[in-house]
This record gives sequence, C-alpha cells and structure tokens, in this order.
Amino acid sequence: MISAMGEEELPLAGVRVLEIGGGLPAAFATRWLVGFGADVVRSDAPRETLSRDEQAFLLPGKRRVGAGDRELRALALAADIVVEDGAPGALAARGLEPRALLREKPALVVASLTPFGQTGPAASWHATNLVAHAMGGILSLTGVVPRPPLANGFNQAWMLLGLNGFSAALAAYYGAQVHGEGDWLDISAQECAAGMLELYGPRAAFDNTEAPRLGNRVHAIWGIFKCDDGFAGVCALQRQAPAFFAMTGDAELAEPRFLDPAYRLTADAELGGLVERWFADKKKRDVLELGEKHKVPMGAVQTPLDLVHSAGLEERGFFDVVRTPAGDARVPGRPFLGMGWRAGELHAPAADTDAVRRDWLGARA
Amino acid sequence: MKRLPLDGVRVADLSMMWAGPFATRLLAEMGAEIVKIESPRAWDNVRTLLPQPGATEPWNTSFYFNDYNRDKKSLTLDLSQPRGKELFLELVAKCDCVIENYRADVLDKLGIGWDVLRAANPGISLVSMAGFGKTGPEKGLVGFGPIIEQMAGMASTTGYGDDGIPYKTGISYGDPIGGISAAGAVVLALIQRRRTGRGAWIDLAQRETMAQMLGPAFAAASLRGETPVHRGNRDPRFAPQGVYRALGRDQWVAISAQDDAAWRALARTIGAGALDSLSLEERRARHDELDRRIEAWTSRLGPREAAEALQRGGVAAAPVLDANAIHQDPHLAARGAWVELPHPKMKSWKQPASAWRLVEAKPLLRRHAPLFGEHNREILCGLLGHAESELEPLRAAGIIGDAPIGAREG
Repeated sequence: MISAMGEEELPLAGVRVLEIGGGLPAAFATRWLVGFGADVVRSDAPRETLSRDEQAFLLPGKRRVGAGDRELRALALAADIVVEDGAPGALAARGLEPRALLREKPALVVASLTPFGQTGPAASWHATNLVAHAMGGILSLTGVVPRPPLANGFNQAWMLLGLNGFSAALAAYYGAQVHGEGDWLDISAQECAAGMLELYGPRAAFDNTEAPRLGNRVHAIWGIFKCDDGFAGVCALQRQAPAFFAMTGDAELAEPRFLDPAYRLTADAELGGLVERWFADKKKRDVLELGEKHKVPMGAVQTPLDLVHSAGLEERGFFDVVRTPAGDARVPGRPFLGMGWRAGELHAPAADTDAVRRDWLGARA
Repeated sequence: MKRLPLDGVRVADLSMMWAGPFATRLLAEMGAEIVKIESPRAWDNVRTLLPQPGATEPWNTSFYFNDYNRDKKSLTLDLSQPRGKELFLELVAKCDCVIENYRADVLDKLGIGWDVLRAANPGISLVSMAGFGKTGPEKGLVGFGPIIEQMAGMASTTGYGDDGIPYKTGISYGDPIGGISAAGAVVLALIQRRRTGRGAWIDLAQRETMAQMLGPAFAAASLRGETPVHRGNRDPRFAPQGVYRALGRDQWVAISAQDDAAWRALARTIGAGALDSLSLEERRARHDELDRRIEAWTSRLGPREAAEALQRGGVAAAPVLDANAIHQDPHLAARGAWVELPHPKMKSWKQPASAWRLVEAKPLLRRHAPLFGEHNREILCGLLGHAESELEPLRAAGIIGDAPIGAREG
C-alpha cells in the first residue's frame, strides 16, 4: 500500500497555502498540508512565539517570508488557501478583509482560527490555550473531583483548533475546485470542543444530567490502573466483558454475577477493587499481549520517549527526521498511509522572501 | 447561497461507535450524502448503549447516537450474507468513498477488502481507521479512544504533578481526533482522484493521529531524552496560570497572566497591587503564593463574574464551562452554536451546529439521525433500482431490517 511517490504524485502538489499569524493553530493546520505537497508560505510574525520544539514539528518544509501588508495581500490573492490565527479583525486591519479577498478571488479559501470565533460577545476576549480550553467543556470533564479540572498536556485547545483547520480548509478547497466557489471559514476553539463532548454534552442538553470529573475510572472495567511498571488500562463494553473476565484468569473476576451489566453497576466499587488488584502485578507488555490475544481493548500508558523508539511506529514509517540546531529531531510525519508525503527541512525566518515573490507574484529577484 | 463544498459526494459509511461516525458527521455537515450501513445483527452499539427508560425503540431514541449521526441515511444490510454483500457492492459502485473503523482484520474477513471494493468501483477510495492501523506489529491490538490516548502518549502528559498519576481525558479523546483526521483524509482522497482519476486506500491508525497532537513532545524526547512533566494547569510561558475555585459547587475559573501587563491588571484586581511589578521569573518562583492570593479573590465570585472582571482589565480568563453550563453560555447562544432538530420519536434538544462555519455557504443541520433502516427503500429501490417486491424477501432473510435483531433482549 505504501509506495515511493515522486513529488508530482503528492496529492496537494501545486496547491498554494499562505499561513499568517504565527500561532500554533495555524502552524498545525498547515503542517499536514505541506507534508502532502502544498507549497506553504509562512508569513513570519515580528516575534516568533513557537518554541524550538514546536518549530521542529510544525515548520519543516514551509517557505518563510517577511512581507509588508501590501505584499501580504498580493500573496493572499495568489494563494488557494489562506490560514490565519490572528485576533478577530486582525486580517482586516492589515487590508486583508476576507470578504473583500473573496470578491476579488471567488475561489479563495480563507480559514480564520480563533479562540471564540469572529462574532459574539466573547469574540474579543483574551485567551491562552488554558482559557480557550476552559470554554470548550473538555477541561471540566478532565481530572478528578474534588480537585480542579485538569488541562491535557501540550496545548490541546490550540492543537484541536489546528486539526479542525486542516480538515475544514481542505474540504472548502475541494468545494472551490469543484464548484468554483471558495468561502471564509470562521472556526473557534470553543465550538470545536463543545461539539465533541462524547455522551456528556448531548446528555446534559437532553435531560440536564451533570457530568462529574471521574478521574481515571469511568467504571470498573473502563479506566486506567496502576500496574507493576507504570499504568495500564482496559475499556470493555458489555460485549467484551466476558472475554476480559475470562482473560484475567482470576476466579473472583470470573464469577458469573459480574457478567450482568445491571449487577455490575451496583457492585462497581467491589469489582473495581478486584480489577485494580489484577493489574497491580502485571507488566505493561503482558497486559498488551493479553488484550491482543483475547481481543479485549487493553492499553498501557506510554510516553513520547517510549514511542520515539517504538518498533511498530518505525515499521509504519511514522517519524520524520528534522535537522535542528540542537541535533536531529524525530517528529510525527505523515498522519496516515496511502498518500504521498514528503519530509521537509527547516527554513530560516524570511529566507524565502525573494523566491516566493518570484514564484507567486512573478517578481524579478 | 453558495453550495456546500461536498455537495455531490456520496460516502458508504460502515463505521460505528464514535471515531468513524464523527468523521462522517463532519462530512455530512459539509454537504456529503452519508449512507450509514448497519447489520440487523450487528448495529452501531451507540444506538443502544444508553437506552432511555421505558423506550419502546431504544435504538431509535438515543440522544447519544443522534448527536453524532444526524444528516445521515440508514441502510441495513447483513454483510455476512452473500446477498447483503452483493447489495453493498452495488452501493459502492455509486459512491465516492467507503469509510470503516472496524478492527484491523474485519473488513477482509467480511470479504469486502480493498481489492473487492476497487473491482466494484475503480474510482472508489477507502478510508480505514483501525486503532493501530492495518500493518505493523501492533495491528492486532484493539482500542477505543481512551486506549488510543494511553498508547499515543497523551495520557502520560496530563497530570496534577503531585501524585505521579497520568490522567485520561474526560472524553474518549482519541475518537474525535481520529474522526477529524479521517474527514480530512476522505477529502484528500477526493482531491487526488479529481487529479489522477485514481482512488486511494488510506490506512489511518487512530493512535498515530492522536500522537500528532503531541508533536513537540517527540522533538523534546528525541533531542533531549525528556519525559513529560506533569504541570497541572501551569505553563512556564505564563505565570501565574491556573484553574481557581469560584463561588458555588464545583465552580471554577481559568486564569492566565499572559504577559506583564496582564499580570499588573490581575494583581490590582485581586488586591495584590503591591506585587504588580513582579517579573515572569519572580512570578514563577512565587507561583504557589500567587495562586493562594488569586483563589482568595475568585472564591468570593461566580466564575463568569470573575472572568468578566479580569477580561475588562485585559487578563485572559474564562469560566470553566461544564456540560450543562456550556449549553447556557451567552456567547455560544449569540453565535447560534446550538440547533434543535425535530425528531419523530423524541423531544428536541440542543445539538451543536457545525464548528466548520462557512460564512457564505452556511452549513445547517438538516435532519435528525436516521431511524434504523429508515432509508432501505430509498437506497435499494431508488438509488440501486431494485423492485419494491424484493424488499420483503430481504427482510424475511434478515438481510435488511427495521429493528436490530436481539436488541429488545438487551
């Protein structure tokens, strides 16, 4: 299935993308676009806000320009897709009001990524990742009562916004190709999260049921447990419960009463204690092997340091190697197999200004 | 009004639970026609995961199922029967893409793997989204979202910092991340087919799309051998930052002093003006003390009141909205972020509008999630051209159905 593809076979070869704003959401939205072959030009902000590790992951392959407002407008009109993560109105203030751009170039796609959207009473609120995360609902569900709601690691409000930016911009681009009509995407971090609160969001909307922070254990056979060399977990639905109990080889867990889901609800604490005891002396590797053998959803908590040496990810060609001033970084490369992908090099700020002027604007160097 | 971008695209959707259905919900919002295929004997488990008390048709009255399957059509087909498979392949011939999130070995075992699909429709694309992919030494692992999160490194990065415990996200985070990525993968396949005429088979491992969400952590691990540090709600770039107790039961407000000016405003607002000249480094060093000062102030106010007072001073702050409060949020209300769709068997409730707001095409929710097998006639007789008289024998053979077989028995 994986084939060595030349650049001409990259699915987005020839697609021009302009990234404006300098933040993590826009940089992540365009990360996959450049890998799949788009010519992504990043308009560098006056001050770099991405950390070196973020740059190593998000900027490979992107061409970088320093451009004034007038030139930026010309670049936007030469692009197929503009992705930006400035505050609402920031583009317009630079002479790039999205509706005006669309009037000049109807097939253009402009994706604006913000914490709270372009309109509404909180549109202009100040936000960091944590503050945007707070408004989206996921934060309230993570962690454990009575401790505070707990943020995920690594800026997930911004990453989620960027991921939505990628797929939404691509959908709009496809529409522009087929129908000749681009559009302006107003995507907010809050709404991206608010629409994916699993069962908790719709249940609250339906009958006002509260959703407490449950920590690592939703119920006795759905959670993370301490094991001998770290933490491991199980997520068994009713259909997997018999296989899980049989798999444990534990006489108490194999008692028929635990097969009854209604009974399990009444005996959750007792059952949870038994499951906790079962995990306690297991190694992560053993848990995974048992899960695979018995087709039970079992996992182990792995760190990025564990994964960077993972034979499985290596075999699937998951990592790109990026040369950085601090050495060679291994970062996630192609997000899925089956499409041409190219790893890229890091470019210096504004290093490609002349080349991009020539290629996109026809200007002489 | 502009057309929606995926208007004219048809997707055969074999996916179940959350990751795949979330992908196809997004595609439906963008205008694609989604034909959701379930077997009378193996239906989407989410239909019956949380049955409503007293419901006579629990598979048709699940708010959980509805939220993630609206704007789709339902076709029931038992793919384990030869006739069911034939009908499925007839449908494939009229589709642009097939999407599935079965365990890695299931599609081939059903006899409808990539080669079979391509023979039925040379232009078809297939997006497979098994938890650990279709290849590699871990393809046999089974996983739902929380397992994906553990195996991708995400859980290891989340924790309070004082107990050594990694925490799962409060939702099955791996699922929607896989879903959003898969929606992009479908579109990418459409773009490639438009250029080359060839479909594509995309092998999306949900664990790998989840790991992408931690990209910078892999740079840190490979360059410096770093393992994640649990910082609770802190961030070295902003101090103080945290989630602070507010007035009321389990009420919280998130606050970040995003720069020196914001800190000065925060310090003055909480009555700590004497500290307003502290540098970022000093604020980091005295973070515990500053947290106590902040919480002494926030705990006397409601979360929104505290956040609005701080926002007026230029400080990044927001109430922590829980699953109930988010449906009452005035900002989301003003943006029309919730839509109530009529449903023939349930009262209506607030469902999220499309987060992909196309300002000019304005994607709107069109229809509630389909009843089980609701579109059998439309698909089989209308789209595929079979006679109405063929339906009853198919129903009698259990190849199609209007109710899951055995669901009433739980």
